[in-house]
Amino acid sequence: MQHTPSSPPLRRHFRQTRDRLATALITAGGIGVIAAVMAIGVFLAVEVVPLFWSSTDTPRINLETLWLPQDYEGHRTPVHRWQPAMPEEGGESRFGMLPLVWGTLEAAAWALVIAVPLALGAAAHSALFMSRRLRARLKPTLELMEAMPGVVVGFVAGLVLAPWLDVHLALGMTLLIILPPGLLLAGGLWARLGAGLRRRLPMGWAALWLLPWLLLLWGLSSWLAPLLEAWWFDGDLRAWLEVSLGLDYANRNAIIVGMAMGFAVMPSIYALAEDALSGVPKSLVEGAEALGATRWQTLWKVVLPAAGPGVLSAVMIGAGRAVGETMIVLMASGNTALMTASPLDGLRSMAASIAIELPEAAPGGTHYRLLLLAALLLFVFTFCVNTLAEVVRSRLRRRYHRMGGAS
Amino acid sequence: MTAPWRRSPKRAASGEGPWAWLAAGSVAASLALLALLLGLLAVRGLGHFWPADVAVVTLDDGRQLAGREVKEVPLSDGDGRERLYRTGNRDLDDAIWAWVDLDEIHEVDHPSGLVVLERRRWGEFIGRLEAIETESGERIVGESTWLALERRLTALAAHRDSIDVLRDQTIRPLVHRLEAGEATLGEREALAKAQARVHERQAAMPADTLVLETVDGRRLRQPLTEVVRALRPNAMGVTEKVVTWGRDVWRFLSEGPRAANTAGGVWPAIFGTILMVVLMSIFVTPFGVLAAVYLNEVAHQGRLTRWVRIGVRNLAGVPSIVYGVFGLGVFVYGIGGHLDDWFFASSLPSPTFGTGGLLWASLTLALLTLPVVIVATEEGLARIPESQREGALALGATRLEMLTRVVLPMATPAMLTGVILAVARAAGEVAPLMLVGVAKLAPQVPLDGEFPFLHLERKFMHLGYHIFDAAFHGGDVQAAMPLIYATALLLVLVILVLNLTAIFLRHHLRSRHGTLPKY
Repeated sequence: MQHTPSSPPLRRHFRQTRDRLATALITAGGIGVIAAVMAIGVFLAVEVVPLFWSSTDTPRINLETLWLPQDYEGHRTPVHRWQPAMPEEGGESRFGMLPLVWGTLEAAAWALVIAVPLALGAAAHSALFMSRRLRARLKPTLELMEAMPGVVVGFVAGLVLAPWLDVHLALGMTLLIILPPGLLLAGGLWARLGAGLRRRLPMGWAALWLLPWLLLLWGLSSWLAPLLEAWWFDGDLRAWLEVSLGLDYANRNAIIVGMAMGFAVMPSIYALAEDALSGVPKSLVEGAEALGATRWQTLWKVVLPAAGPGVLSAVMIGAGRAVGETMIVLMASGNTALMTASPLDGLRSMAASIAIELPEAAPGGTHYRLLLLAALLLFVFTFCVNTLAEVVRSRLRRRYHRMGGAS
Repeated sequence: MTAPWRRSPKRAASGEGPWAWLAAGSVAASLALLALLLGLLAVRGLGHFWPADVAVVTLDDGRQLAGREVKEVPLSDGDGRERLYRTGNRDLDDAIWAWVDLDEIHEVDHPSGLVVLERRRWGEFIGRLEAIETESGERIVGESTWLALERRLTALAAHRDSIDVLRDQTIRPLVHRLEAGEATLGEREALAKAQARVHERQAAMPADTLVLETVDGRRLRQPLTEVVRALRPNAMGVTEKVVTWGRDVWRFLSEGPRAANTAGGVWPAIFGTILMVVLMSIFVTPFGVLAAVYLNEVAHQGRLTRWVRIGVRNLAGVPSIVYGVFGLGVFVYGIGGHLDDWFFASSLPSPTFGTGGLLWASLTLALLTLPVVIVATEEGLARIPESQREGALALGATRLEMLTRVVLPMATPAMLTGVILAVARAAGEVAPLMLVGVAKLAPQVPLDGEFPFLHLERKFMHLGYHIFDAAFHGGDVQAAMPLIYATALLLVLVILVLNLTAIFLRHHLRSRHGTLPKY
């Protein structure tokens, strides 16, 4: 480099050739790597096509047998069944994809039911109310929560939470009833506090000083739970569920899966929603406050409409993650391919089916290709959802930019 | 910015409305859940190694049992509580658990003479040590029995170590050469000699027999060679217990699993995880950086590049199991099958590369984490001010020189962050591994003293899969639970440390180069 001004033409020529070569290599390598990653979709599609092509395979597979109820031996009416027969067992294989799709969507739906309120509440609080110092600490903490491996969450859900809820179903339900009013009560009490005490417990740090309050509510619930169970459900919630609602309580059920997966997807929804909410130009927020709106009114009437698409895309990305999550569903659901709407039944998702069955399936066989079809569905679904979310997000960023708030 | 709501506490007090509190509560609840999970793992995982006191429970009807208290739950029919004891002695009782109704307990005692033996078969023994019968027919009884047992166990451990060393370092490589038909005469002799030495050592092990008695008076004769360790937890002081605890944690980290993954340590799983992740980062770093440099520095920045960028970003959101399917179909059945046909036809139909293995697993995970590295590196590249590049070019540097001397060094922390995030993600992924090469029990680690030293085709053990396997394919889940907790804690700790490093690096990077310009 230091000889640059006086370098002989040969050397310059060498440097330029090297540069051109390197650029070509980088281009080829870069395109190659990107193509390799993109090849996944192509591979799956190519492997799935012969499924509908060849007509010699038994059992015959077409769109009808996959998605519509079929007549099977031993059933009087047409039903949906996913029952791949293992080669050594013999017997008829039943390949109706609908139970798997249903299980996947049901698990994802329950996960979102749990995760979305938590994540959006947390995002709203940390974008508008929380003190900056706490927020700077909270975001990495929730990122750590996101990094929690699925197998650990699945283990805790399947082997700790499920047996616990099996015994303490009433307590779980009481917690659900007690917590929201309990938090509102905390707000009411806080407003009645003296100014001095209130300054010591600022709203910006509520996330921390509410923790002991939650503990207190937990204690209250565990005291109330047996009483509630005795008053409303004749002392046995599960028997009541079975008799009056006809719901059978499976040990590992959709609710458990939803709770575990809600825990797993909540941080990613939170992170994206918080980005969208806090990216809203300051001028809008300050304008609303100058006109006398409270922070909550500002959030509801100004920030949320502006950031709405971003929040929606956060939920979409959360849904994409929930649909594809494997280990949690595998460990926390009973892996029974049922098609019931009851949240207390087990389920079997596409991802879990692939993980269990694919190593056993003969490569190139019908079962193998069907599992690849499931993988293709997962791929297409998540890819489309994520692309949509990404497009929405980049539009939103440009909109914020136009509104003048450089975030 | 000073928070405006703090300037007017009065309005904030009355005006925020109740919903704000639900929002605050959801933050608190999320934090509580996270703390609960980590606390549970830490307490159960670490508590397992604590040598807790052994209780002798005398029931009202005079029966006695000895065991460690596990938990206490209310009786299913309403009143009273019952307690679960882990009593060991599977060979005598056919079970290692005992439920005891609290109302039926007459007395609970902690006599200091109780011993807990860890055995190779049948698991734990809990009871009293009556005597040691030596080979020569001598009988050691009374006070000195315990000391004699400790001395013998130390000698036994030394014997076992030397046999293990012989097996691993001398015999196994020779056997492999013999199987391959390459062994020379000298090597055959060496093998015979080594095997003779092992037999000699085995014969030299103290062949004493322990006479044991359970608390309810049943006798048992136990060959000493089967005993791995003996403890008298009730006679130990706190310091001694802490030392034992530390030693047990170390054994957990450094030993292999026993009893169908429900006991013993996780060393092969740790080793497998680390080796796989290292291989993966060797694959992913150059390719990820290459793709990022191409996208950000070389490619024409147009609509197509933007779409490709979005596509790459989205691939990070594609479920990991889909990558596993790709790995199985393309790497294992596709490339691996052909490799077998071409190079390993002699060993067909048993596959060499045509089945899951270390190489395919790390390649699959490299593909899975490629988007993470590309995105992180691109962010780092986008953060570098354009003036730096222009300056380098103005001074006469070619594009390659500008990249290698100016841009890439500045982007190094970003690349490092990307690789660490990739490693953290890969270390926790289990689902794709189930398809491309993880094993529930791999007796041989993929790295050893035999040529070619690194065995890319072998299956390997993985911490995450170890958790899944022990939790769902083990016989007695209750007995395996403490170990699963400990393994889960280990996995979470590894991932937390990796993530914290990444967060720290990123923070460092931001404070050096300012925030990312949004495109």
